[in-house]
Amino acid sequence: MRPARIVFWVFFTLSGLWLQSLVPGVDFLAPGLILAMQEEKWTVPVWLGLVWLFLQEGAGSLPFGSSILWYGALAGLYFFGHWLFEARNFLFVFILGGSLGAMHFLLIGVMVLLQDQTVPVERLLTESALQALIFPVEWGLVYLIHHHLPDSADAA
Amino acid sequence: MGIREQNDVLRQELAAAKDELSRLRENASEVERLRRLLAIAPPEEWKRQGTRVISHRLGPNAALETFVIDKGSASGVSTNTPVVSPEGVVGRVLRYSPSAATVLLITDPNSRIPVISQKNRAQGILKGEGPDRELSLQYVPQGVPVEEGEILVTSGLEEIFPKGLPVARVTSVGRSGSSLFQVIRAAPLFGSLRMEEAALLFKGEPVPLPQPGADGAPDPASAPGKPGKFPKTPAAMAPPERTAAPAPAAHAVQPAPAQPKREAVAPAPKREAPPADADRKKSRKHPRAEGQ
Repeated sequence: MRPARIVFWVFFTLSGLWLQSLVPGVDFLAPGLILAMQEEKWTVPVWLGLVWLFLQEGAGSLPFGSSILWYGALAGLYFFGHWLFEARNFLFVFILGGSLGAMHFLLIGVMVLLQDQTVPVERLLTESALQALIFPVEWGLVYLIHHHLPDSADAA
Repeated sequence: MGIREQNDVLRQELAAAKDELSRLRENASEVERLRRLLAIAPPEEWKRQGTRVISHRLGPNAALETFVIDKGSASGVSTNTPVVSPEGVVGRVLRYSPSAATVLLITDPNSRIPVISQKNRAQGILKGEGPDRELSLQYVPQGVPVEEGEILVTSGLEEIFPKGLPVARVTSVGRSGSSLFQVIRAAPLFGSLRMEEAALLFKGEPVPLPQPGADGAPDPASAPGKPGKFPKTPAAMAPPERTAAPAPAAHAVQPAPAQPKREAVAPAPKREAPPADADRKKSRKHPRAEGQ
């Protein structure tokens, strides 16, 4: 990978973690995974996904496996969806964001239920709504930035 | 030196002085916080150890009200280790790794602590209700006096927290319909988002737990990330090691020579089995032999 892209992904990861500390419960790295699957070689999303998976598992308070389900389901949704839609279509990303919001509600709900724990439903709903709204907006922003990297074909 | 150069030098000195002032202010603030932390007097038989908060709720998996501290099993931290601040109880360790641990705050809906009111000695269970919400004191019967502003302290009944640590302050006392219990709200004494340091309490000296792989064999009981694996009830605990039978009272005056424990618990060797047993075994085998 070229240096500009390495810097981009490192900066994206750090910014994502900082934003996650500001808005707990929302995944700011997920749009990057979709972007990496769209724009980079297959090894890049695999490595990024692996690093982010361990970061999310370590930072979270659920048993190990939640992030595997989370990112696994996201990758599955992307592969299933890009047969039906154009992968860079904003509508597709919007639907992906909505699905991710719903998945956050379901996944966290099921995981805490399995552990015999409870979470405030209002907070879970708020986080899901934020996830659904933030995902397409963030994807759009990082897509634009990624296309203006110095080594990008679209760079001015 | 011209006025312009002098101006540049002064500007640089001013920037350096501002930088130093900022650093010293930060140090002074830290000293103040650590001094308050050191002022926590642990109860008898308990030891205190400071720790830093390295992360608050973060990421999509942060379902519970938790934060991460920079002490883990290598420092003796295990599940349910109490975490306190100068103001009062913060929570307890939910899970741990060798160098970090996740603390479940008392404001989480999954946290329940048996408490007692400091003035009227009313007992109840303090339950978290989520972020930015007051705690609820449950199972306090109607008629039991509880006053607004009263401090709730740990009762120590769950054998996790030492008795008498302040936890929350009662903000409202009421009743709801035909319920047998009062509706009591209490505010936690600490601010979770402002927390930068906390103290861990250990019963006795903190003992670093064996690390998996350190001696070639992982210890399942101390495996990181496995909350709730410790026995919850005395009945679920492993049976205590057998020791020699207590010596009679006469031995207390003139103690008998100590016998090794192994002798006391070791089963008698088969060769020394009483002959009656051997006969019985033989008698069991005879019918078969005859039958064959």
